[in-house]
Amino acid sequence: MIELKHVRKIYGSGQARVVAIQDINFKIVQGEVALLMGPSGAGKSTLLTIAGSLQKPSSGEVVIAGQEVSKLSTRELSKLRLSELGFVLQAYNLVPFLTVAEQFQLVDRIKHNGNLSHEELDKLLQRLDIKQLLNKYPNQLSGGQRQRVSIARALYPNPSVILADEPTASLDSERAVAVGQLFQQLAQEYHKAVLLVTHDQRLETYADHIYQMLDGKIQVADN
Amino acid sequence: MFLALKEIKHEKLRYSLIVLIILLISYLIFLLSALAIGLASQNTQAINSWQAKTVVLNENANLSLTQSVLTKKDLQDWHQNADTAYIGQVPTVAKKAGRPSVSAQFFGIKSQQFIYQKQVLLAGKRARAPHQVTVDVTFKQKGYRLGDWLKLSGAKGKYQITGFVRDAKYNIAPIIYGTLPVWRKMRLLGPDVVASAVIYKRITAYHHGNAKHYPIAKLVAKLPGYHAQNLTFGLMIGFLFVISLMIIAVFLYILTIQKLQNFAVMRAQGIPSRVLVSATIVQAVILMIVGVALALALMQITLALLPAAVPIAFPPMIGLVTAVGMLLMGVLGSFIPVRSILKVDPAQAIS
Repeated sequence: MIELKHVRKIYGSGQARVVAIQDINFKIVQGEVALLMGPSGAGKSTLLTIAGSLQKPSSGEVVIAGQEVSKLSTRELSKLRLSELGFVLQAYNLVPFLTVAEQFQLVDRIKHNGNLSHEELDKLLQRLDIKQLLNKYPNQLSGGQRQRVSIARALYPNPSVILADEPTASLDSERAVAVGQLFQQLAQEYHKAVLLVTHDQRLETYADHIYQMLDGKIQVADN
Repeated sequence: MFLALKEIKHEKLRYSLIVLIILLISYLIFLLSALAIGLASQNTQAINSWQAKTVVLNENANLSLTQSVLTKKDLQDWHQNADTAYIGQVPTVAKKAGRPSVSAQFFGIKSQQFIYQKQVLLAGKRARAPHQVTVDVTFKQKGYRLGDWLKLSGAKGKYQITGFVRDAKYNIAPIIYGTLPVWRKMRLLGPDVVASAVIYKRITAYHHGNAKHYPIAKLVAKLPGYHAQNLTFGLMIGFLFVISLMIIAVFLYILTIQKLQNFAVMRAQGIPSRVLVSATIVQAVILMIVGVALALALMQITLALLPAAVPIAFPPMIGLVTAVGMLLMGVLGSFIPVRSILKVDPAQAIS
């Protein structure tokens, strides 16, 4: 679970001061898919980086899996991200010099317990239709294939929270629907909290909550 | 190790080029070191072969064998034993019709003493008569044969080569080992003169008349050109080490800057900084080991192909020390981009 309490993020100072997000109170619980939508510059990416403990808020409190983020050291934050958070990034979270199989091996080398089992990974790869790509490097994959591998990579450490930045941006309708269904299934069957930052209205069908962001503030659009 | 090896495997061309640069720098350092040692050894080859610790010279000779003359009076308190040898040194030019002239050092020695007895003969036998000499193997390389009669500048008559000796060079010139009476004649000295110097295999103190003891290292340091030559080579090698450090650091820094986005993504995924830092350092060590090992192999091929006349020596210890030095430079160089890795902002992964 992720909870943001009165979170505010300000960049710069004086005349260059920009309030990116203000007084955000936001909670994603396990078993639910939340969609964060809004125009460019609304503060979605800032909110995602703060919810993902990639940067600290100027004020307010961020609690991830029961831990107050501001109290954690850099090393503890890395550990928290590795074990509790799965990122699916717009720029693809794949290491360019590792094959698809080696992307998972890298996780195994750092996090020795709690990752998906062989069978679970096999099932996931089949479901995402990427099992045949295990020996390929990211630059040998199409945009859609990379995105699906990226999703598998994020899910492999078996995190409790999935944070995705435009996860269906490179996918055709059929694949986008499959990814939407996968996130819904992950939330419901595997008890994950899922936050999707997206412009893709095709995903609205699979969301439990849809939040609209505008000028750094959240408005609940639909429940 | 995992990340370091996988990246090298994937970016073969890029890392091969870096290895090539390391190889060339290491090879240059090895070659210069070998030449420096080769030249230095040609200055001191004979002295080293004697395994001497002390030399007794005329104290007014400014530590020069050529300038030194010791008389019976100077050495009257000196106790002869098996570790003592007299030498009378004079520069000369050896000539024989049909052979090239050779600038050499004539060393008059006594047949009862250790320098005469410790000569390592590659061919022939020790000189037994005043008109016989043994010569450094350089003479053989220049076409001289056993039995050749030499004419020595400053000496009357001719001298027959009876043997070729190994490790017999002094101040880069090959040595001609003859007798002390011949040396006295070449230097036009009277019978009360004993030698230029007394060589002693142990550390000792002696001061009588004009004779004074010196550590052998002082004599070596005063050899003409020896200090300047070693300093020049030392500076070149030192600068090459610094240049190699800078090149490795710059390469790794540029590579790191190119990979910052990847590092940001990995940091966002929870890969700890220490994993990324150790991957960079391990990568530098691997590149250095491969580059230096290839340079060592190339050096061995060079040593095998170079003509014997080239003054080059590459003892294993020097190869080891230089290789370890290069590895240390690599590790030091790899620390330069560490700060950039530690400062990577994982939030950059979301942009």
